[in-house]
Amino acid sequence: MSEVATEPAPSAPSSAASAARRRWRLNSRSPIMITFYALLLGLVVGALVIITTTPAVLDAWRGIFHSGGGIFHALKVTWDNVGAAYRAMFNGSVVNPVSLWHSVTTGQNWEATLTPLSETLTYATPLIITSLGVGIAFQTGLFNIGANGQAVLGGVAGAMFGSMVHMPMFFHLPLTLLCGFAGGAIAGLVPGVLKAYTGAHEVIVTIMFNYVIYAFLLFSVLSTPFQLPGQQNDISRTIDPSAQLHPLFGVASGLRVNYGVVVAALVVAFAWWFLERSSMGFDFRVTGANPAAAKASGINAKAVIILVFVISGGLSGLAGIVQAASTTHYIDGGFLIGSAGIGFTAITVALLGRNKPGGIVWASLLFAALGVGGRAMQGATGIPLDLASVIQSAIVLFVATPVLVKEIFRLKSAPVAKLELATKGWGA
Amino acid sequence: MRLELRGITKRFGSFTANDRIDLTVEPGQIHSLLGENGAGKTTLMNVLFGLLHPDEGEILIDGEPVRFANSGDAVRRGIGMVHQHFMLVPVFSVTENVVLGFEPTKSLNRVDYKRATEDIVRLSAQFNLQVDPDATVENLPVGLQQRVEILKALSRDAELLILDEPTAVLTPQETDALMAIMRSLAEAGKSILFITHKLKEVRAVADVITVIRNGRVVGSAEPTATEGELASLMVGRDVELTVEKSAFSPGENVFEIRDLVVRDDRGLVKVNGVSLDVRAGEIMALAGVQGNGQTELVEAIAGMRHVESGTILLNGRDVTNKTPREVLDAGLGHIPEDRQRDGLVLSMSVADNLVLNTPRRAPFARRGTRNLAAVHDNAQKQVRDFDIRTTSVDEPVASLSGGNQQKVIVARELSRPLAFLMASQPTRGLDVGSIEYVHRQMVNHRNQGNAALIVSSELDEVLALGDRIAVMFDGRISGIVDPTTSREAIGLLMAGTAGATDE
Amino acid sequence: MSVIESTAAVVSNRRVRVIAVMMGVLGVFSLIVFAVGSPSVAHSSFLFNPVNLSESAPWHVGTLTLNSRLADLVLALIMIGLAVETYVRRPARGVMVRFGGVAVLFLLTLLIWAARTPGPSPVSFVNLTALLIGSSEVTMVLVFGSLSGVMCERSGVVNIAIEGQFIGGAFVGSMLASTTHNFFYAAIGGALIGGAIGWILAFFALRYLSDQIIVGVVLVTMLGSLSSYLNLQVFTPFPQYNTGNLAPNLAIPLLSKIPVLGPVLFNQSGFFYLMLVLIGVISFALFKTRYGLHVRAVGEHPRAAATVGIDVVRVRYINVILGGAIAGIGGVAFMASQGQFQPNYTSGLGYIALAAMIFGRWRPSGAVVASVIFGLSVYLSYTLTSYQVPVSLYILQMFPYLITIAVVAGLIGRVRAPAADGVAYQHD
Repeated sequence: MSEVATEPAPSAPSSAASAARRRWRLNSRSPIMITFYALLLGLVVGALVIITTTPAVLDAWRGIFHSGGGIFHALKVTWDNVGAAYRAMFNGSVVNPVSLWHSVTTGQNWEATLTPLSETLTYATPLIITSLGVGIAFQTGLFNIGANGQAVLGGVAGAMFGSMVHMPMFFHLPLTLLCGFAGGAIAGLVPGVLKAYTGAHEVIVTIMFNYVIYAFLLFSVLSTPFQLPGQQNDISRTIDPSAQLHPLFGVASGLRVNYGVVVAALVVAFAWWFLERSSMGFDFRVTGANPAAAKASGINAKAVIILVFVISGGLSGLAGIVQAASTTHYIDGGFLIGSAGIGFTAITVALLGRNKPGGIVWASLLFAALGVGGRAMQGATGIPLDLASVIQSAIVLFVATPVLVKEIFRLKSAPVAKLELATKGWGA
Repeated sequence: MRLELRGITKRFGSFTANDRIDLTVEPGQIHSLLGENGAGKTTLMNVLFGLLHPDEGEILIDGEPVRFANSGDAVRRGIGMVHQHFMLVPVFSVTENVVLGFEPTKSLNRVDYKRATEDIVRLSAQFNLQVDPDATVENLPVGLQQRVEILKALSRDAELLILDEPTAVLTPQETDALMAIMRSLAEAGKSILFITHKLKEVRAVADVITVIRNGRVVGSAEPTATEGELASLMVGRDVELTVEKSAFSPGENVFEIRDLVVRDDRGLVKVNGVSLDVRAGEIMALAGVQGNGQTELVEAIAGMRHVESGTILLNGRDVTNKTPREVLDAGLGHIPEDRQRDGLVLSMSVADNLVLNTPRRAPFARRGTRNLAAVHDNAQKQVRDFDIRTTSVDEPVASLSGGNQQKVIVARELSRPLAFLMASQPTRGLDVGSIEYVHRQMVNHRNQGNAALIVSSELDEVLALGDRIAVMFDGRISGIVDPTTSREAIGLLMAGTAGATDE
Repeated sequence: MSVIESTAAVVSNRRVRVIAVMMGVLGVFSLIVFAVGSPSVAHSSFLFNPVNLSESAPWHVGTLTLNSRLADLVLALIMIGLAVETYVRRPARGVMVRFGGVAVLFLLTLLIWAARTPGPSPVSFVNLTALLIGSSEVTMVLVFGSLSGVMCERSGVVNIAIEGQFIGGAFVGSMLASTTHNFFYAAIGGALIGGAIGWILAFFALRYLSDQIIVGVVLVTMLGSLSSYLNLQVFTPFPQYNTGNLAPNLAIPLLSKIPVLGPVLFNQSGFFYLMLVLIGVISFALFKTRYGLHVRAVGEHPRAAATVGIDVVRVRYINVILGGAIAGIGGVAFMASQGQFQPNYTSGLGYIALAAMIFGRWRPSGAVVASVIFGLSVYLSYTLTSYQVPVSLYILQMFPYLITIAVVAGLIGRVRAPAADGVAYQHD
């Protein structure tokens, strides 16, 4: 173990000081490199998964021993398959070079060319909002793993208001979004209060709450007022056009990117102000970095814990209704559910973005591109889109372990900033 | 056993904690290793006990060079250690703790507790170290826990015992008992390496004294040396622990507590009916061995711990069971005992730490938005005024030395309007220069007519600073005396043996 | 968070009262809804013979018929009595036992009420044996999970990846059971994959000191998406790898003839017997052996353990890998009770297992009792619909999760986790 001990012994004050100074300097540049290498490693993991599970590739390698197929053939097959998958991912999430060339030279078909980017932005919009919520909680030393449930409840609450109450858009849309925020905030309030007053670990409570909310989702879309009239399936009423987030370039453009982007931009601005400039955000950060000092300097820890969960849950809820009001305009029993649910991706995004608003925007765009690209890859090559989520988890695992990344790439093993997160043991 | 260290060097990065240390302990000898906090004593012991590996130098036992890969190796060669922070598992029984790592077993890998208990009983009798083998360690008083540690070492046939600052948590009487145990162990042929920074104890018990400073051996002395000689060896110059104070002219009562009762985390009453008052222009020093309720008292005053009964008055205002925020706003300045845990956010900048408990106060914030320029300007000013050594106010406070970290707290507290200053162990672990600086700031504060309560377990500090000295024992004030009182008398109060005497 | 610690002692007394109030609420609910809600003439019947009368059927026992209102009245009064006793006496020990007892009584009153005749239910009886057999599948999986938790957390590592180890075990187990038709190999495979996931967790947590909870959660996400990926990539094109495979029951002669207990305990699959053996072995190993003493020392005070020559990191590696292997087998057992692998079908059981471990105070015996209660409530939430209970299936399904939340909120701070649980250990 001693070779990875990055902290000098406590009896060495001046060396601790210089180590901390070095760490500080690295902080400003190094994380970007680590993130880049982690991304690379994540793609390698994805490639390994493709190689070990694609029959064509496996056959080619088996061929080395059986038939005459040489090792170069096997390598070529591997390269072709992995390459095709990642090419499809890129083309489907950023831009298809062929299509771009066509559009540039002929001035036509811009819709098809821009669709991948539009899709990535559409997918990134709610992801940014949720991830900021998760990131604010992380900065306060709290792990909100219930973002998915909060987003679902926000979606349900907002969609109920958007579909069952009718008024002009000027009131309807903001109030619908507010309902989404409130739904998520309520879902966040419960774990927050339990954490503050009983010390119940937020990780277990929020995970359990996810399942409670999923059950509630099914209940709501299968019960009378909210279920689409005349339907037996798990599908809700449609959100009024006056409460929808419309496409930025009009429905005719065919691009789904929508006014949710504006909402996300406002939330980013708010989160930046909140974390970097506001007094309350300062309290939150102090609590996250050192709860004991927070208490000693007069910060009300219980209030902070509850507020964090309300804000974090509220943002997730807002993301839920943004998702529903911008794309499907209704909610069904599968809304945001699954291991690749938005709330879980948001955790990885927040970690990748180091819980800073700017970092989260970039990380959201990256993971949105992976998700959208994954779907394109599934269409083009038949490789299931879950691969994208495997790659995402791998990236985060590496980002959370910078020392490992440095070891793999033989980077100078200067002390690295550990992700400073304060999830602790159970009760205490 | 004869132990010899030759040229032991241990570095952490660019910092040299031990620099070519030579040391010899003869069989049956009590060898005292004397040095200030941070002089490198603990590092040396960890090297000797196999917890750290020396970069240079060698360890010889009975003339034979040895290398310890881990503490198990050291134990097998007959070295036993009583750590400053006991290495006992609180929820385990005495027996479980003593046998841990060296358990007698029967079939199926089962621990043979019957045999283990018998061994402990026998060993206790042999060395006169009585303790109930079935008691749970966390329920034992500190003195007995230390006895368990010694038993643990002896049960492993230790021939050399290392005692690392063993008296820090003991009362004077418990300390005397320990000294007696040490002498009888030495008579039984065991060698003892006694690490401390307390001059009196060294002179009382040591056969040989080695003094280290800044990681180097700076000399050795006979136990007949005077305290002054030892002290100047230890700190490298003649220390002046007395601070000049202006004449004592106390004013109105600023701070008052009446019949305070406070419990600790485990629900035990730690402060049991304490009453105390502090007047303007006065430093009240609260002396006592650690763990007699001072920590809980301070936390209760600061609003960080629930007060069961009694009242706390600050400037005539009742602040009992108010939140820390309300107490701070009422004018309490607090220099906490554990500065890195309660006083600072290490990962945040010096500037942010300087406004840690006033982030909302003008001009640092307006309507919920922080004014970073004002925070920065304030930091520049404090760094200048309080001589905080840092390359920039944007550096994280973790990068500062311990003394400068404490200066950040002192600057933060003394630079805002205070009704009352409370400082807990304000100079623990600091170098001599910083100690003097902190002391001067406290006395200046008092000279300007302010009230202060200074909690310290260092008798010298208490005597140097206090206008009156209150002694705390077992949750009560066992006496309030003036600073001309003899050390012995105060020692008796610290042990709770003398009746409460009013000044 | 440590900010809450300082009030823990004061809270602890209050907490007993909170638990007592929770018990009282359950009792009063039973009294008002179930006892008063049953007509005075209604009766409920209990059957004690398994539904499926095979050759190993136990000796026949008659039907027990009770007056519904009277029976519920008596049971509800017992519950209220226990609650009052707990509230007044605030016993130092046995609060959990009382709470567990009240929970079981609550389920009984619920069943008596649901099966009342005349009443709306088409099913006029409660088959206790069938109920216990039915719930034993979930209980068994929870026991495997909580034993895994005990192994890891007693050594000081939080294994929140149990859910992921379930998923991995279920996937590999299904593949091996389908190809070899031998559940022994499936169990070995599950143990290996679970152990491997445990190793990854240990590797990141022990070698790189990464946050254990984050690594655990990311591992769950990764296993979740990897298994859905592989499900599509492997099981969909090659369904022969995921065929229906129910583990056969192995009746133990004579013992299986005992009424109720026989079919529940002694006519089960090999996994069930393995679980019984593991409960005994782990209890013995942890509390009687030298190895167990070392494990507990490492979990409570790693430095003290290190100073007496115990290799802290090694002990933790061993325990986390063994714990992972146990959870992996749990995953196989779950698969073998469901017949085949499906993505996401463990639906949070891994986290419920962790709650069961907390409820059981980090002891195997306690974890088993807690698992039985959780298992019953999960099973009942699915089967109560057959009694035409006037509550939506989806609302009922929330209950196991809500109970978990209540347990975690009510108990943390009262029960004491190993002191070094979840705290990274760094050698000097």
